[in-house]
Amino acid sequence: MSFHIEAITVLLNGLQQGAIYILLAVGLSIILGTLKFVNFAHGALYLIGTYAGLLLALEINLTSGQLQEWGFDQLGLGLGYIPALIIVPFIVFVVGLAMERWVVEPFKDRPDTDQILVTFGLAIIVQELFRVFFGSSSLPFSQPAWAQGPPQVPFLSTIPISSWRYYVIGITAVLVLIVYVLVEFTDFGLIVRAGTRDPEMVELLGIRLSRPYIVVFGIGAALAGVAGVVGGPLNPVNPTIGNEILVPAFLTVVIGGVGSIAGAVLGGVLFGLTQAILVATYSAWAQVGLYAIAAIVLLVRPQGLLGEAEVAP
Amino acid sequence: MSDEPAAASETDADTSDSIADMVGVWAPRGNEVRVVAGTAVVLALFPFAFSRMPVVSDLLQGYQSLATLILIWGIFALGFDLLLGYTGLLSFGHAAFWGGAAYTAGVFSQQVSGSPVLMVAAGTAFAVLLAWALGFLSLRRGGIYFAILTLAFAQMLFYMSSSPLAFITGGENGFTGVETAELFGTFPLESELPSVLGLLLGTWLYAFVALITVLCVALAYRILQSPYGMVFRAIRENEQRAEFVGLNVWRYRLMSFILSGLFAGIAGSLFTIHGTYVPLASFYWTTSGEVVIMTVLGGTGSLFGPIIGAGVYLYVENIVSGGHPFDFIAPFWHLILGLVFVVVIWVFPRGIWGFVRDVRDAVTGGDD
Repeated sequence: MSFHIEAITVLLNGLQQGAIYILLAVGLSIILGTLKFVNFAHGALYLIGTYAGLLLALEINLTSGQLQEWGFDQLGLGLGYIPALIIVPFIVFVVGLAMERWVVEPFKDRPDTDQILVTFGLAIIVQELFRVFFGSSSLPFSQPAWAQGPPQVPFLSTIPISSWRYYVIGITAVLVLIVYVLVEFTDFGLIVRAGTRDPEMVELLGIRLSRPYIVVFGIGAALAGVAGVVGGPLNPVNPTIGNEILVPAFLTVVIGGVGSIAGAVLGGVLFGLTQAILVATYSAWAQVGLYAIAAIVLLVRPQGLLGEAEVAP
Repeated sequence: MSDEPAAASETDADTSDSIADMVGVWAPRGNEVRVVAGTAVVLALFPFAFSRMPVVSDLLQGYQSLATLILIWGIFALGFDLLLGYTGLLSFGHAAFWGGAAYTAGVFSQQVSGSPVLMVAAGTAFAVLLAWALGFLSLRRGGIYFAILTLAFAQMLFYMSSSPLAFITGGENGFTGVETAELFGTFPLESELPSVLGLLLGTWLYAFVALITVLCVALAYRILQSPYGMVFRAIRENEQRAEFVGLNVWRYRLMSFILSGLFAGIAGSLFTIHGTYVPLASFYWTTSGEVVIMTVLGGTGSLFGPIIGAGVYLYVENIVSGGHPFDFIAPFWHLILGLVFVVVIWVFPRGIWGFVRDVRDAVTGGDD
């Protein structure tokens, strides 16, 4: 393989990995920026998205877990990938609404540490529920047959990357753009941004903030759900994937700058590329590299690459 | 111990001020004698009741090595509570100190000396230095950033030891070359103590761990009763006010972080001695999560709550998950812990210990 093909492969792999981080980080970031709520259960939403996508798209054979013991050897609707991709965001959106209503709302006035602790506990509960019902062994979530090979386009067909990865990048780009437009250029976004600045003033003007806030949380959750569906077929699916992806997702938010969508994109691309380049060169250092970058960014620019410096806590 | 202050007061104050001061520094304060003696008595009876006493131990299904493990995690949780319960900082990276000390103790035993005391010293020293460095970096940002930063640094160490440093740590397989020697060169850790002590305490290992636990409880109690510990609580209650009074909040926080790293280091080293093996998972963030759960479950902001939390957690993890009397819930043990954890945060933020105290106050009618 010639050098430039290899370089493009690494680049695209990096962008695809970055895309998953971006989907999660944008959701985390807008939730953290507007609701000031720390969601350690964001990985659990990703997990729900992956399993929901798997069960909607395919029919799988269960080999362990309570469901299998109860006689469900085969499970899943087998609707295909496109319906799964459309339905899952709605499912996770509703989960997000429920979570905002029954978890975020009661913990709004409690200390940050309590918010972290309760969502951490919820993440464990979700993870263990999936473990109990579906077993801890990895389930096969194959990429759709129509997206397995390289795309049949001149030039791209010579690069050994499945079309699925291009779809991941494309879907992420479209969704992030939609969220960006929604926050920056609509009345809804205006209210949300004003609420971030000065919630008291906004409410004094007669605008109810609780409804936009719950929608923001739902959107963040839905993005995590999409990340689960598009990211699921790229890795083995088991109950721990949610908590594994949580840490890099959080770091993406922190190095990008909390509340900044552009920052989350920049952070995600930076992480994805670093990881892909290190995997191709010094693979032992691939994971360490992420954390080293995060540490350097935070020491040099504590507010994140595109974050605004805090005036007062 | 309790007659020392009396002895000090009998000496002529004019001539031996410095001696009186020195004795005064070490003299017990407040309820210290009661707390330390009580801890010692409970720890002396615990393994017997847990693993050998007729009827009770059959009911509990406990065993000696679990009793030791509970104390080790108890020390870890106790130190963690200094940070979370008293200073109000939530770290998700304490696996770094636990794992760092565990690996250091392991490597030290292989390369230098297998003496348990020296292993603990080496592991703890490493953990303290690491806590200093990581605390210095993580405390640059407060609140949620602190939780995420500590988590990130600990994960970095996990990935470091999983591959780039695998030639030291053994990578995925963990560190297997632990060579523990006899305690003080004479007492093999796995053998039983003589006569009635053997019946009560069981092995030398337990005696060693229990002694360190008592010392840790005494140290923690002393810190918390001192003006220094008072400052920790002041920072937890109102950081700004503490700052305005003229306290250097950042420095106190760093010291609190280092102190909790010290306890984590002691516990991590003991964990290596106990298991004669260091799993890679000791660096993973689930270890940090476990100590968080233990501390919150037992009760933050109390001395004994976290130790009880460690006991409950390990009991569920090792006994309830094993089946027999708990067949019907065994596969769900982790789920149940998660549920209980969420309920505790939601409804009883003061944990088991706080709940016990509330019940006691309700019964006695006093608020002491």
